Amino acid sequence: MSILFSVDQAAVHSSSTTLVEPVSLALVAGRPFTILGETGSGKSLLAQALMGLLPHGLNATGSALIDGLPIDLTDPGAQRPLFGRKVGVLPQEPWLALDPTMRALPQVAEGHRFIAGKPTRLANEAAREDLLALDVADCADKLPMQLSGGMAQRVAFAAARAGGARIIIADEPTKGLDVARRNEVIALLMREVKAGGTILTITHDLELARQMGGDLAVMFEGRIIEQGLAEEVLDNPSHTYTRRLIAADPKQWPQQKRHADQSSPIILEAKDIEKTRGGKRLFTGIDLTLRRGEILGVTGQSGSGKSSLGDILLGLLPPDRGRVLRDKAIAKVRYQKIYQDPPSAFPARVTLAQSLNDLTRLHRLDAQRIAPLMQRLRLSPTLLSRLPGEVSGGELQRFALLRVLMLDPVFLFADEPTSRLDVITQAETIQLLVELAREQGCAVLIVSHDRALIDKTCDRQLAISA
Amino acid sequence: MAPLEMALAAQAAPAPRISRRRLIGVAVLVLLLLFAFLPLLVGGTDPLKQSLRFALKGPSLQDWFGFDHLGRSMQARLAAALRLSLGLAFLSVVTAMIPGIVLGVLSAWCGGLVDRVISGLSDAFMALPGLLLVLMLTAIVPDNPAMLYIGISLVLWVEYYRMTRALARPLLASPAVEASRLLGFGPAHILRRHIWPEIGPMILTVGAYGAASAIMAIAALGFVSVGVRPPTPELGAMMIELLPYYEEAPHALLQPILVIFLMVLALQLVGAKDRP
Repeated sequence: MSILFSVDQAAVHSSSTTLVEPVSLALVAGRPFTILGETGSGKSLLAQALMGLLPHGLNATGSALIDGLPIDLTDPGAQRPLFGRKVGVLPQEPWLALDPTMRALPQVAEGHRFIAGKPTRLANEAAREDLLALDVADCADKLPMQLSGGMAQRVAFAAARAGGARIIIADEPTKGLDVARRNEVIALLMREVKAGGTILTITHDLELARQMGGDLAVMFEGRIIEQGLAEEVLDNPSHTYTRRLIAADPKQWPQQKRHADQSSPIILEAKDIEKTRGGKRLFTGIDLTLRRGEILGVTGQSGSGKSSLGDILLGLLPPDRGRVLRDKAIAKVRYQKIYQDPPSAFPARVTLAQSLNDLTRLHRLDAQRIAPLMQRLRLSPTLLSRLPGEVSGGELQRFALLRVLMLDPVFLFADEPTSRLDVITQAETIQLLVELAREQGCAVLIVSHDRALIDKTCDRQLAISA
Repeated sequence: MAPLEMALAAQAAPAPRISRRRLIGVAVLVLLLLFAFLPLLVGGTDPLKQSLRFALKGPSLQDWFGFDHLGRSMQARLAAALRLSLGLAFLSVVTAMIPGIVLGVLSAWCGGLVDRVISGLSDAFMALPGLLLVLMLTAIVPDNPAMLYIGISLVLWVEYYRMTRALARPLLASPAVEASRLLGFGPAHILRRHIWPEIGPMILTVGAYGAASAIMAIAALGFVSVGVRPPTPELGAMMIELLPYYEEAPHALLQPILVIFLMVLALQLVGAKDRP
């Protein structure tokens, strides 16, 4: 076993504090290495320090050994000659990383020609072979915009290693992907590992860490708190934080399913709904009935129209066919929505207190209810005087929950409510959402790409497919 | 006291942070305003009063600014010209701002035909070079500052319209506005809490730049003797009048140039965006 990439005492400092404490690790040929951590744990900073791409104002210390060549991490330009030749980077958004005006084959051939120094004809041949090996040979003459996300990722992957790089750094390679696409990416990465290279994956995704196997390091508050074989760390975590992280995985959640009480009143009914968007029929013939206190999960691939269905039920989008019936006796404002990206659901330049005050004044609500509800949602009163951009995503999502709960909702459409949140925050948020909805007898429609989350929290499920 | 009220009280006065550049701009502008309007309060020389024995007399202890070719006090003429330029620019900016913003919000809000009609109108104005429009109006009714004012306002409103429309459109389509509507809020709340806080800070910047370009336009028209007619003191007209005497009295020619320079610089500094 040869060590391709070893890092000795790498750390990241700003002018005043240490953001990442010294880290040492070794990447071995044929074995992937994964760094697992939440937002703000410093994992991306570490990766940027290793690549010499730290943002302005931060500096790195420590040293690295890349394929036998010593690198001083304090000098940000030191790694540059190795880019493409020894180290390749798999970009987070392959679509954005590819040149939109260049066809797939020349993008890959570029690496062979200019970095590996092959003549044009050989470079083109080598690029064609790469594409063939990744089953995207038919994409050779297509522009990036004509490629699907998965294909673009493979082309980007081929381009990243065309210069002969055997060490690939992948920063959040599965961010925002659904399960099928995620498995595709994992297979792609593992292929490189089997071929004798190595992959340094930076992720918050437990499932990705588990499937990659190899070595795993868990990062928390700028430190590596646990390191070892992936299986061992994930099955027998020794640190409390790792345990919390694993327990927060939707797969580990307790089952909260409940049988619907058939006597509770119906608050929403949809009959034979059909919707077409952008020339594509999303769904047709959907019938559903929601009773008070019921939790319905909607699953489906990305782009399948899960969110559109929720918007139709709320009356934000008109259906192409069919009808949505609501209980006429219930006020319209008691049908509410929780958004995917909490900061975009609040007026950006208005403090949270002002937003809540506007709401209580508009509907003449009892402001006394806010304090206990905030306590229940574990929101500190000091947060009130801040702007939406100044509180964390999890806190803001709980504020969004507070805002709608003030109106005693009977129906809540939660559109991917936790997909932008970290695992632990996600677990807390969903737990609170379900608890409070059950207490107030509010029906919830949860849309999520995460099957496990839906399986564990919802009473019933609806799978959407065209 | 409930936490909500406490938080509302605490946020009452956020300390305004003004950048140094903006502060310098404001200081220069205040000095220019004092120079322009103080003679109205304390009484000064008549800018039209000629006394040929002072013709082209240089600065002295009694008269810091000297006299022009007809022996008129440069100080009085500069102050009067500044009043005209600043007043006209301010009036044009305010007149352009109000319809610009209203139409911009209307366009973003209604979309469809309304948006297309107003956008088409604004494009028509953009297609015409700004100075040409003012020239045309002043040619139709010569020697009337009102035409200058109307012309400049007609050129400036497009900028406000476009900016407001571009800012308001994504805002109105955002989940934040959708959420507010779902929560039962009406258009007044959306204007006040969503649109105004985003547009408000931009208005100062665009307004200051607009005023600077209005001042330049007035001076340019005066320079080609189209704008305000002599003997009314106007910076551009003063420059062209004094140009033949630049060898004998360079101080007289330089003064209106310096005043325009300071005025535009001050407005640019005021409008400059704060760097984070």
